[in-house]
Amino acid sequence: MSIEAINEQLLRAIGVGVALLDRASLNFHFHNDTFEEWFGAQVGVNSLPDVFEGLDVAALNAGLDESSRYTAEIKHKKKRRNMVIAVEFTAASEGEQQLVVLVCQNITRIRELESMIDSYSMMVERNTREIKREKEQVEKLLLNIMPRSVYEEFKAFGVVTPQLYDPISVLMLDFVGFTDMVASADPSVTVTELNDIYSAFDRIGEQFGCERIKTIGDAYITVAGLPDPMPDHAKAVANTAIRFIRYLERRNKSHPHQWHCRIGLASGAVVGSVVGIQKYVYDIFGPAVNLATRLQEFSEPMQISVQDDVAKTLREEFEIDSLGERDIRGFSTQEIWRLNDSKRELSPAKA
Amino acid sequence: MAQQTLFEKYGGFSKVSKIVLAFYDTLLDSDEIGPFFDDIDMSRMVDHQTKFVASLLGGPASYSDKQLHQLHNHLDIRDAHFDELKDVLKETLSDHGVEPGDVDIVLQEFEQRRSQIVGSPHVD
Repeated sequence: MSIEAINEQLLRAIGVGVALLDRASLNFHFHNDTFEEWFGAQVGVNSLPDVFEGLDVAALNAGLDESSRYTAEIKHKKKRRNMVIAVEFTAASEGEQQLVVLVCQNITRIRELESMIDSYSMMVERNTREIKREKEQVEKLLLNIMPRSVYEEFKAFGVVTPQLYDPISVLMLDFVGFTDMVASADPSVTVTELNDIYSAFDRIGEQFGCERIKTIGDAYITVAGLPDPMPDHAKAVANTAIRFIRYLERRNKSHPHQWHCRIGLASGAVVGSVVGIQKYVYDIFGPAVNLATRLQEFSEPMQISVQDDVAKTLREEFEIDSLGERDIRGFSTQEIWRLNDSKRELSPAKA
Repeated sequence: MAQQTLFEKYGGFSKVSKIVLAFYDTLLDSDEIGPFFDDIDMSRMVDHQTKFVASLLGGPASYSDKQLHQLHNHLDIRDAHFDELKDVLKETLSDHGVEPGDVDIVLQEFEQRRSQIVGSPHVD
């Protein structure tokens, strides 16, 4: 077999579509087997524009005139498969004859793969967004049960080291006759109202830098000075306590259910930590918590009882009355005080 | 912990992509089902097959029954078409080394959607 014959065999069998065209008429002089396989047996009969639908012939001629080359991508439907073919035209001459060499690469698979990657990456991106949203909701939920700094520690290390906060102030609030209310009224209504009130308490406390620790039934505990130290922690809980009572008084005027509370305020040290492994609770422990609970029990409805140490701090700015010395279970006998809302008695102008 | 999906078991997207392309090729060549795709744009078709295979294997796509119904109810799909596609799916999965037990699971998943895909019988 001659070299020419081998060359022709190769040219016919190669997996690239090859054709030779007349420059002027764009009629086919030659096309190889691959070309025919893609474009069908009619190729030799028709001229190029009939074979390549959508080919810009003017642009092809311009390209060949300017740079002797022209490339394009054409779409071709073979049976029902949409083929994408990259075509390259190169001007050539054989003696007097002006020719165009046409080389076609089948890039259908590449386009199909690109489509698949697009499709898949869109699915993955959508999932990623969903996961991110879920993560944010979990974070929001955890931030409801523990301070942010504690949450950050929990996230980084998986555990929370119990931490001593000293000094801080604790506000302990308990509703009068809550058990009777639940029994007498529709419990779901009572709980809905309790939820409204707690939400309002949260907002009030936030204004004064208090962090709500927990609620147990009708008991509400909030603190100032935790997790970040606060010099005016006693004043913060005092201001918060006064506004809790103002809020309830105003609310009682327009609601059929009357809510009355007792409040105790105490300062001291507490240890704060996450308790539990599966069911986390952020909680605080320490004498200040217990003392505030006891003091709350001394309060008449809608009154605030204050520990002696706290009273000393509040004396300058708040109106307080002595309730005398009392025996406090678990603590030494000590003087306790009542914190009054001075707003109505005092003139608006400050002394 | 969440159970491993078939999608993960068979190597995630890098492996499943090969199943998708093989499935796509076979469908286009099939004279039974192919005609449904005559006028469908290639990228849409690939998109559809990618999601289809991924959702059957428990990958990151899932169609609700309502979506499936909406996507197919304008087509005249018969039980015979559905059966043919099921065969193609079975062969393709087996050819790509999916264990027979897992193939059955996928086919069952597929079968469950028959009523959403096959149009209600009507008189010609």
